[in-house]
Amino acid sequence: MTDANGRSRRRFLRAVGAAGVAGLAGCSAEPTGDEATSEPPAGTDDDQTTTAATTTGEPTESMADTLVVATYPPFVNAPSTSPGAWLKREFESEFDATLVYQTPDSELNYYIERAVQGVDFEADVYVGLDTGQLIDVDGQRGEGQFTDPLFAEAGEIDGIDTIRDGLQFDPQGRAVPFDTGYISMVWNATMDDGEFVAPETFEELTEPEFEGDLIAQNPTTSTTGEAFMLHTIDAFGADGYLDYWERLQDNGVTVLGSWSDSYSAYLSEEAPMIVSYSTDQVFASAEGQDLDKHQIRFLNDQGYANPEGMARFADSDAPRLAEAFMEFMLRPEIQAGIAQRNVAFPAIADAPLPDDYAQYAKEPPESVTFTYDELEANLGTWTDEWARRFAGG
Amino acid sequence: MDRRVGAALRRRVSDARPGRLLRRARAAGPAALAERSALPLLAAVTALLLAVLFYYPVATVFVDAVVEDGRVTFGPLVEVLTDEFYLVRVLGFTAYQALLSTLLSVLLGLPGAWVLARFEFRGRDTLRSVTMVPFVVPSVLVAAAFYATFGAKGTLNAALSAVGLPELDLLPSLGAILVAHAFYNAPLVTRVVAAAWESVDAGAVETARSLGASRRRAFRDVVVPQLLPALLTGATLTFVFTFATFAIPLALGGSQYATIEVFIYSARRQLEYGRAASLAALETGVSLSLMALYLRYERAQAAERRGVRTLARRPLWPDSWSRERAARRLAIAGYAVVVAFVFVAPLASMLYASVSVDGRFTLDAYRFLLERQATGATFQVKPFPAIVNSLVFGAAALAVALPLGVAMGVLTTRRFRGRWLVDALSMAPLAVSGIVVGLGLLRGLVFGFEAFGYRFTVTGAVAIVAAHAVGAYPFVVRTVAPPLDRLDRALVESARALGASRARTVLDVELPLVWPGVVAGAAFAFAISIGEFDATVILAEGGGTYTMPVAVERFIGRRLGPATAMGTVLLAVTAASFVVIERVGGEFRG
Repeated sequence: MTDANGRSRRRFLRAVGAAGVAGLAGCSAEPTGDEATSEPPAGTDDDQTTTAATTTGEPTESMADTLVVATYPPFVNAPSTSPGAWLKREFESEFDATLVYQTPDSELNYYIERAVQGVDFEADVYVGLDTGQLIDVDGQRGEGQFTDPLFAEAGEIDGIDTIRDGLQFDPQGRAVPFDTGYISMVWNATMDDGEFVAPETFEELTEPEFEGDLIAQNPTTSTTGEAFMLHTIDAFGADGYLDYWERLQDNGVTVLGSWSDSYSAYLSEEAPMIVSYSTDQVFASAEGQDLDKHQIRFLNDQGYANPEGMARFADSDAPRLAEAFMEFMLRPEIQAGIAQRNVAFPAIADAPLPDDYAQYAKEPPESVTFTYDELEANLGTWTDEWARRFAGG
Repeated sequence: MDRRVGAALRRRVSDARPGRLLRRARAAGPAALAERSALPLLAAVTALLLAVLFYYPVATVFVDAVVEDGRVTFGPLVEVLTDEFYLVRVLGFTAYQALLSTLLSVLLGLPGAWVLARFEFRGRDTLRSVTMVPFVVPSVLVAAAFYATFGAKGTLNAALSAVGLPELDLLPSLGAILVAHAFYNAPLVTRVVAAAWESVDAGAVETARSLGASRRRAFRDVVVPQLLPALLTGATLTFVFTFATFAIPLALGGSQYATIEVFIYSARRQLEYGRAASLAALETGVSLSLMALYLRYERAQAAERRGVRTLARRPLWPDSWSRERAARRLAIAGYAVVVAFVFVAPLASMLYASVSVDGRFTLDAYRFLLERQATGATFQVKPFPAIVNSLVFGAAALAVALPLGVAMGVLTTRRFRGRWLVDALSMAPLAVSGIVVGLGLLRGLVFGFEAFGYRFTVTGAVAIVAAHAVGAYPFVVRTVAPPLDRLDRALVESARALGASRARTVLDVELPLVWPGVVAGAAFAFAISIGEFDATVILAEGGGTYTMPVAVERFIGRRLGPATAMGTVLLAVTAASFVVIERVGGEFRG
C-alpha cells in the first residue's frame, strides 16, 4: 500500500469521525508485510485532515512533512496549562511540517506493548520519558517480537551540550532531558490556627508533633509516591527505608493511590502536608490563591528530581524531522516556554525565564536521584518489599 | 404440584419446539421464518459479540498466566497461588471488604425499594428513575466528594461543631470504603428489588389474607419469597463489583486496604503480565464461582405465577393516622436522613466544588468548559462532543444490549443440563477485571490479529458501542431472567397453541408481564454505557470518540473545578436520560 493511499483512507476515516457519526469506522483490515501501515491512534482529527489535504504530493526526500509526537495526555490536555498547543504552533510556524500528537492512555506502555506484539505504529518521537520507563523498555526487549531497539540514540544533536549537569539519565544516550521537576513536600501554614510549621528533616517528620499530618502516595500506583519512597531509600538506605516507613506508619501517615486523590484530600484540609511538586506555588499564584496554603518544604534540604526526556523511535520514518524537533526542543526560548507551560524547570541553564519565575517555582538546594543502573537492579524489589509490608489488608 | 406439572410441560415443549418451529416456518414463508428465527439469531449474535469482544481479547491476556516464553508451564499462576501474601492476605481482605460492602449496600438499598414500591407520592417516578445516578459518577469525583463531605474539614464536621458536638476523624478508613461502595451499589439493590416488589401479585397476598393470614404472615410467606431472588441478584452483583474494586480503596482507604485489583493494576503498570494475569485469573475464578452458585440457587427458586395485578401503593401522607402508620412514616423520615448524608451530600458537595474556589462563589469552572469548547485545539478533549458521544453510545448500546439480554434471558429459561454454567459464562463480562479487559482489547482488537495475510483491527465508535453492549447486557439478563423463569408457563403455552411464534409470544405475553424488570435492565444498560471508562478510553485511542467520563478524567488537575463541572454536566445529562428512558419505557408498556 502506498503512502498516498494510506493518507486518503485515513482522511476519510477522520472526516467521518469529525462529523461525529457513530456507527462507522469500526473495523479495518490491512495487508500485512513490509510496507504495511497501521491506523494512527492520534487524537487529531482535523489536523490530520488538513495535513492530508494540503500535502498530496510525495514527501520530499530530505525531510518528511508530518511528525507524530507521542506523549502523555496532560502534556496537551491539562485543564490549567499545557505546552502541547503552543509547541505545535511554534514548530509548525518554522518547519514546513505538521506536528500530530498521539496521547494513548497507557502512555509509553502502549508502544512497548505494540513492539512486543509486533504491531507497527506511526509515532516518531516520544516526549515525557523517565528512568523507570526506560528500564521497562529495556526489560521487555526480548519478549515476543520485540527484538530491535525501540529508541534510537540521540547522537550529537544541537543543544545537547547545554543540558545541565546531572540531568542526563540514560546511560545509552537515547533519552534527552527536556525539563525536570522535583518531588517535595507542600504544606499549609494556615492549619492549627496558623501555627503549623512543617518539619525540616525526615527524622522530625516521625515525631509525635506531626502525627497524622502527612498525605503521601502509594509507590506501586503513583509516580510521586514512587519518588518519595526512593527519596527515603536515599536517606535511610535499602536496609533502613522499611523501618523508616514503619515509623511513618506509626505516626499516622496517609498513603493514597494517586496524586490527584491525595491532592484533593489536601485541598479539603484533611492534613497539613502532602508529597507533591515543588512548583505548587506557580499554580496557586496564577489562580490567586493563598500562598500560605501552598508552602514548599525540601526535607533534609533535598528534592527528588524527576527529569523528563524525549527520544526518537528507532523505526521512525521521519528521522531527520524528529532530530530537528529534538534540537528545537532544546532551544533556549522553547525551553523557557515549555518550562512555564508544563510548570517545570528547563533542562538547560540559560533559558530566558521571567525574573519572578524562581519566586514561585522552587528548586532544592540539593537534588537527589537514582541512576538507571541502581534502579534497574533494585526498583522492582524495593517496591515489592514496600507493598508486602504496607499494603494488602 | 403446580410447579411440577409446569416443569414437565416445559420440558416437553422445549423438546418439541425445533420440529414444530421448522414446520411452521415452512408453512408460513420468509416473514414468519424471520420471526421464528429471531431468538436463535439474537443468541448467535450474542455469542459472536461475546467471542470477538470479550472472550478472545481476554484470552490474549489470561494466556500470560500459564504460558512463559512460548511454553505452557503454569508458572506465573502457580507462583501466585502458592504465595501466602496474595492468597491469604490480599484475597482475604478483598473478600472481607466485599462482603461488608454487600451487607451495607443491602441494608441501605432495601428500605429504598420498600418506599419506592409501596408508597405513592409526588415525584415517585422521577425519584425511581434517578436512583441509578450514583452508579455513573466517576470514582475520582466520589473520592473528592467524600473528603468534602466526611473529611476533617467537611460538611459533616462543620455541622457537628455548629451544634457543639465533637468532630469525627472518618477518613481514610475501611468504613469510608464501605460507605462509598454502598453509594454505588445500594441504588442497584433498590432498583432490582423495587422492580420485583412492583411485580408481586396482589391476588396472592389477598388470598393469603382471606385465608386468615396476618399481614406479617402474608408478607413473610407470599411477598418475601418473591423478593428474595431479586435481593440476591442485587447482593451478588454488588459483591462481584466490590470484589473487583480498585479506585475507591486507593482513594478512601489508603495503601493498607489494597485489594487484589490494586495489585493487578500495579503489576500491569510494571509490565509484569504473568503476575497481572494470574492475579486476575484468581479474582475471576472467585467471582465466577460465586455467580455460578447464585445462578443455581436462582434456578432452584423459580416458582411459577401469573402475576398480572400488582399491589396497590399507599399514600406517603396517610388520610388518617394510626400508631403503626406514624411509626412507618417516622422510619421513612429516618431513612431519608441517611440517604441525605450518604447519597445527596456527596453529590451536592461535588456541585458545590464546581461553583466555588476557597469558599467564594465562581463560575470559572463552567467558563473553562465553554472556553475549551470554543477555543480548544482539535486534539484536545471538549465537553460538547463528549456529551453527544456518551448519549449516542448509550442509546446504541441500549439498542443492542436490550434485545440481546432479553433473548438470552428467554433462551436460558429453557431447561438443559449445565445451563447454570452457560449462564455463568454469559455473565463473565461482570466478573473479569476491567484492567484485563482493557489490556485484552488493546492486544486483541486495537493491535488487531493477523489472518489470511491481513491485519484486522477494531477501533472507533462501533467497537465502543459493542464493548458497552457486552458489558451491559448481563444486567438485562439478570433483571429479566428471574421473573421470566417464574412466569406461568400455561400462559406461554396457550399463546403458542393459538399459533403465536416464540418471538411473538415473548413480545406479546412474556415481556409485558415482566416489564418492570425490562425497564430496570434498560436503565442498568444505559448506566453501564455512560459510566464505562476502561474500554472506552482504549478503543477511542484519543480519537474523536471520547465520552463524558473520559472528559472528566482529562480535566482532573490540581483544582477540582473543571472536573467537577464536567461531572455535574455528566450527572445532569444522565439523570435526564434516565427519566426519559423510564417515561418511554412506561408508555411503551401500555
